[in-house]
Amino acid sequence: MKKKVISALLCAAMIGTMVIGCGSKGDSSASDKGGDDSSSKAKEDLSIEIVSKGFQHQYWQAVLKGSTQKADELGVKINFVGPNSESDIADQVQMLQSAINAQPDAIALAALDTEACMDAISQAQSSNIPIVGFDSGVPGAPEGAIVANASTDNYNAGELAAEEGYKAALKDRIAKASGPVRIGVMAQDATSESIINRGLGFIDKIAELCDADGKTVSIEGNDKYVSDAKVEKTDGADVIIDVAVPAQVTSELSSLDCQTLLNKKDTIAIYGSNQHSGEAMVTGNENLNKFGSGDDQVIGIAFDSGEVIKNAVKTGEFIGAITQAPVKMGETVVDLCVKAAKGEDVSDVDTGCQWFTADNMDDEEIAQNLYD
Amino acid sequence: MGKNEKKGNVFTNNPLVRAIGTQKIVVVLVIILLALLFSIMSPSFRKYATVVSIFDYSYYISFMAIGVTFALITGGVDLSIGTGMIASGLVGGYLITHQGMPVIVGMLASIVLGLLFGLFNALLIAVLDLPPFIGTLGTMMVARGLGSILTGGMSITWPAASVPQGWFRSIFKLTIGNVKFPLGFIIVILVVIIMSTFLNRSRPGRYIIAIGSNKEATRLSGINVVKWQSLAYIISGLFTGIAGIAYAATFQAVAPGTGAGLELDAIAGAIIGGTSMTGGYGTIAGTLLGVFVMSLLKTGLPFIGLQANWQQIITGLVLIIAVLIDVLKNSKRA
Amino acid sequence: MGEVILTMNGIDKSFPGVHALDHVNLEVRKGEVHALMGENGAGKSTLMKVLTGIYTKDEGTITYEGKEVEFANPREAQAAGIVIVHQELNMLNHLTVAQNIFIGREMMSGKLINDKKMNEEAKKLFHKLNIDIDPTEKMGKLTVGKQQMCEIAKAISHDAKVIIFDEPSAALTEAEIDELFKIIRDLREKQLGIVYISHRMDEIKVITDRVTVMRDGGYVGTLITEDSTKDDIINMMVGRVIYEEPKTKSNVAPDAPVILKVENLNAGKMVQDVSFELHKGEILGFSGLMGAGRTETARALFGADPKESGDIYVNGKKVDIKNPMDAVKHGIGYLSEDRKQFGIVVQKSVAENSTMASLDNYMNGIFINKKKEAEVAKKYVESLSTKTPSVDQLVVNLSGGNQQKVVIAKWLVRDCDILIFDEPTRGIDVGAKSEIYHLMNELVAEGKSIIMISSEMSEILRMSDRIVVMCEGKKTGEMSISEATQENIMHAATLRN
Repeated sequence: MKKKVISALLCAAMIGTMVIGCGSKGDSSASDKGGDDSSSKAKEDLSIEIVSKGFQHQYWQAVLKGSTQKADELGVKINFVGPNSESDIADQVQMLQSAINAQPDAIALAALDTEACMDAISQAQSSNIPIVGFDSGVPGAPEGAIVANASTDNYNAGELAAEEGYKAALKDRIAKASGPVRIGVMAQDATSESIINRGLGFIDKIAELCDADGKTVSIEGNDKYVSDAKVEKTDGADVIIDVAVPAQVTSELSSLDCQTLLNKKDTIAIYGSNQHSGEAMVTGNENLNKFGSGDDQVIGIAFDSGEVIKNAVKTGEFIGAITQAPVKMGETVVDLCVKAAKGEDVSDVDTGCQWFTADNMDDEEIAQNLYD
Repeated sequence: MGKNEKKGNVFTNNPLVRAIGTQKIVVVLVIILLALLFSIMSPSFRKYATVVSIFDYSYYISFMAIGVTFALITGGVDLSIGTGMIASGLVGGYLITHQGMPVIVGMLASIVLGLLFGLFNALLIAVLDLPPFIGTLGTMMVARGLGSILTGGMSITWPAASVPQGWFRSIFKLTIGNVKFPLGFIIVILVVIIMSTFLNRSRPGRYIIAIGSNKEATRLSGINVVKWQSLAYIISGLFTGIAGIAYAATFQAVAPGTGAGLELDAIAGAIIGGTSMTGGYGTIAGTLLGVFVMSLLKTGLPFIGLQANWQQIITGLVLIIAVLIDVLKNSKRA
Repeated sequence: MGEVILTMNGIDKSFPGVHALDHVNLEVRKGEVHALMGENGAGKSTLMKVLTGIYTKDEGTITYEGKEVEFANPREAQAAGIVIVHQELNMLNHLTVAQNIFIGREMMSGKLINDKKMNEEAKKLFHKLNIDIDPTEKMGKLTVGKQQMCEIAKAISHDAKVIIFDEPSAALTEAEIDELFKIIRDLREKQLGIVYISHRMDEIKVITDRVTVMRDGGYVGTLITEDSTKDDIINMMVGRVIYEEPKTKSNVAPDAPVILKVENLNAGKMVQDVSFELHKGEILGFSGLMGAGRTETARALFGADPKESGDIYVNGKKVDIKNPMDAVKHGIGYLSEDRKQFGIVVQKSVAENSTMASLDNYMNGIFINKKKEAEVAKKYVESLSTKTPSVDQLVVNLSGGNQQKVVIAKWLVRDCDILIFDEPTRGIDVGAKSEIYHLMNELVAEGKSIIMISSEMSEILRMSDRIVVMCEGKKTGEMSISEATQENIMHAATLRN
């Protein structure tokens, strides 16, 4: 019995140490959800709840940074939260619920799954709390539920990736090819609107560009993308777009997808539509060493940054990548929330995106949006 | 009475088969069969690079599976190894990339955190008598949250192979010129030999098996069951930490909030390799073979052009069939 | 008998709410087999647990080899030479025989276990005891009897001076018991002190030198076996005379109808071409050695195991029994050998267990009619005189005999006409045994019919109207009680074809 008591105490002590261990680091950590920092001087009336998609990618740290800056500047109180991972839809719904219960002046939401959030959204509407969408926003929300969006136009961003990639290398490679060629598209999932739009924007633009150059295009792979893209599935096309989506979001499955694409002889390029896919491309390429800009190599195009992707762009493994403007997005969303809370008219803001390559990634204008 | 003993068939009476165990022979045959099948159906599967990839993706699962085999043999289970591994990888990487500590410190931190999870499980299960499923389920959630909190929720990137700090990745994959050598496989084999010897020839190993066979009888034999049951979970924790390093070496980037579900791959590997879910029986070599079945399926199925969701279905069916063979074999014996 | 090796004097032990041992005495001499007797719950096991350090005593002294001792745990007791051969076999089925014998004190070469040497040592040990067991065999593959031998060998390998046998014969066949007694006599020869705990009166007379009797945690007295009768001992145990003599003639009317007929039943190796008839109001004893296929026959008949062929007729009508549900539908109830595993749900109440097999009759729509359930349970608690504070008591808290009564109640509630009792009194003490016998006699008097599988010869001879004997899956004999003797039953039970 005595033993049990001692070990129970040990357990408690252990948990305690863990918690304290984290607490001491808390000021730099997202567990504080940033916004509390400004609470000391926040005697102001306005409080804003920001429900993000989590902090798994440094991208969100940059968004947090932008919103904290703006909140300090405007003197409003923000509470920035997000689930542990981007597949924790239920957790996010719960966070949204708590945000509404806190009766803030405005809510900013980057929904993982709009359907799951519907109840909470209508509850916010009936409590007259304006909701501003950001990042991928709240696609498919009922008319008027979302007052404005501060987001990257993901479809545009996908198009930009296609345009720049085509200009830099693809056009040339397709023209020179003796037979049909394959362009791989790696998507983390087929459920998130932002991921889907980045994929569709890329696919549709490639098809448009190829068409202009007199080449035919077909699509295969994941059913969602195949049915939503403007491209039809046809036989004997010059360019085949091949969309891979893993059954589960794990690094292993995604990098295996990449390997499978790289192993197909006719593959000339792979586009990874977010940080997860980009990193998986690097892992998948490790043993095969196929990415590069040479004639017999595969062109890699990524989306978002992070150390692994930045490094791949810098070393020429990838010819380039798209970066969003997370800092600006963070600032914009707070700005929109404040305006909405004050009852001013607000409208959607495209926070923009940029194409970066080894040559321009150190430019101030771009470097500020790249994160580790 | 002696006459009643089952005679067995030609196959099970073969001395070689008896020495290695029927389950393992079946698993080896399955591995060979799968490798042949994939090689025939996909030319690119036959490449050396593919072999290296299969090895690459097997290390972290192997380590988790070796560790969890000990928990399984005691008749328990350790569900915390998946998220525990990710937490270990996160914390180790955090110390290296965000606190500027040497790589070796980060690696040690990963192992220490793994050990702490193991110790925590040991306290819950061996000392406080919590059912292993519940205890480790709790730890699994704790590890998941803790990993995110300790690293501020950020995904952590371990040093790239190209920088000097990336030396740790050569432990698992040595690159000489253009040739990549799956060194990790040799390490895994060594670990298997060491842990097999430990399990079968050392006193602690013997007592871990004894506890799984009949905990009360073991206690009445004057053996400190609390101590040795604890050890099984601590070993599981230790390998959780090592798996964290292996994971980082393979994937470089470790994302918080992930890892749940990976423990099931490891447990499935151990079970396919013949470890009994009810305890008392299991071999480390069998576990490694089981992991290879899983790895081969994961790597091979995309090569033959199967859609992602079909891969999961087939992997699930293989697991069920493997265990079913064992169940049928045992029911015949009884 | 030699000098005194162990004395326990005035041992007292209380648990919260229970005075488990009330100043108990026990004296063991070198070269004697000392029986420790008492009904279940009399405190025998508790006393032995105090001796080997599993419990600490509140009062009293233990003197061992002339010195006062108090062991902190079984390991210390073992080291001093006091070992227990447990009632529930404490076997590690996944380890080999040799690994079991040397568990906790493995022979090492350096840091590694030397299994080869352990196998050799085990072999020597078996040789010394005249036991034929392969030390490299997995323990789980041995028969219960052989496992028991291993347990004894393990005890002896500890250089034991005092060995405690806790109901060693409970799971053994007659032949195995003979072998066990040979070993025990051998140990007595070697001047070891032996404590023998058993319920079987016959054995006590055969093997022991003295008997110490306990009742309700108290010490009743010590007798010299040779000078006392069974009735003396039983009287001391229960305070009343209950010993019953064997039945001499059948109580069944010669023209009683056949209620169950089994023809050429086959189910695996253990049931080959078994045919028999059961008459109304009859107790049909199934005798044979352990592993003769009696339980397997009952299970195949009951539909618990698949049968390969054979016809079953209930009341002259051919029935198709594919599973226990079919059997119950035809009024057959099976009281299994292992109550805890198959007969009752110990964590449920008496009432819930009673209606388990016939819940359909105790429903109120989709809900269980608790009131009706309690009523019927109460009825059977009274008619079977089950000792339980209430029908809400969890079965786990009842004694073995009363648990058995709950199982009987379950089938009576279901209104079964044919009851299969598989080892109905295993692990039940003398007093409760007698009650179960009484109950069975009452049941047949009411027109129920009983198949009773028993490994106890005295039970077979006491209860049966007719006897079927099996050996290695075949029926090897059938006789009426008037012509049955121990000898001809044993003869049939060892008939190997």
